Amino acid sequence: MLTDAGLMELVRAERRDEAIALLLPAFRRRVFGLAYSFLRDREAAEDVTQEVFIKVWRALPGFDGRASMSTWIYTIARNASLSALRAQRPQSSLTDPEVMEAVESINPVPSADVLVDRAAILRLVDQLPTKQRQVIMLFYMEEQSHEEVATMLAMPVGTVKTLLHRARARLSAAAGKMSATA
Amino acid sequence: MSTPDSELDQHLQALFAGLDTAADFDARLMARLRAEPQTDATERAMRARQQERARYRRAVSELQSWRRSMLSLLTLDTLGLALLLIVAAITTWPRLGRDAMDISHQYGPYILISLGILIAAVPLLGMWAEQTRRPIRLL
Repeated sequence: MLTDAGLMELVRAERRDEAIALLLPAFRRRVFGLAYSFLRDREAAEDVTQEVFIKVWRALPGFDGRASMSTWIYTIARNASLSALRAQRPQSSLTDPEVMEAVESINPVPSADVLVDRAAILRLVDQLPTKQRQVIMLFYMEEQSHEEVATMLAMPVGTVKTLLHRARARLSAAAGKMSATA
Repeated sequence: MSTPDSELDQHLQALFAGLDTAADFDARLMARLRAEPQTDATERAMRARQQERARYRRAVSELQSWRRSMLSLLTLDTLGLALLLIVAAITTWPRLGRDAMDISHQYGPYILISLGILIAAVPLLGMWAEQTRRPIRLL
């Protein structure tokens, strides 16, 4: 069981590499997802994720435990993502061909119809306001945990629920319109 | 395209649940971390050198400011004033000479003692002024 105290013991014993090796499986996907929700670019999100873990590795000896390790890591990840976002102009889109290709390669789908549906939904998600889009992505990536998404985005759980509700309502409405015009 | 809520959930899950880094992510990160201590040490040495250079420059500029302030006193005004005082002393001396000799005979030892105290006090005052100023840290 990975605990903050256990990790800090490793850091004190100058075994930071081991601490990072333990943190990686627990936080890699989440940090990547968080970076991706900001940047909407796989490569950039992966670069940011690398930078985040290097920053965590460097800063681990100074971690004072005032916040939990996860909150601390997400804060580093958010700041790194925002810095990368400021440097990244023009912004890529979820519906860019390479992003679509990447998503399809991760989640192979059985039929052409489903693929069309998912591409359409991806386009709709891309059109959502930033916070709604982030909440939707992280919620479905994080196996529907409102609390974890709230920690990742430094938002109250209630706000996450509201944003999620609005985003889903928008997506449903937009998908309904699309099917009506089809 | 018909998307009831459950279907929308399925689609969204399929789109985002598998989102992950490339397979070699951990290996690349650990390789970067192994190279990190060296970078760290180099960076620290570079930063220390820069700080040392900055401290040296600050110390030199503070010393130079003393020299500069002394040199700044040497202006045409101060030279003119000194010349005026010398001329005044020369012109008034014959009249004051006799009185001055009497005074010097009478109060000579006191004047010498006062001068001695003044001369001894100057470095002490200087040291005090130096201590109350921001110290020059060379190390």
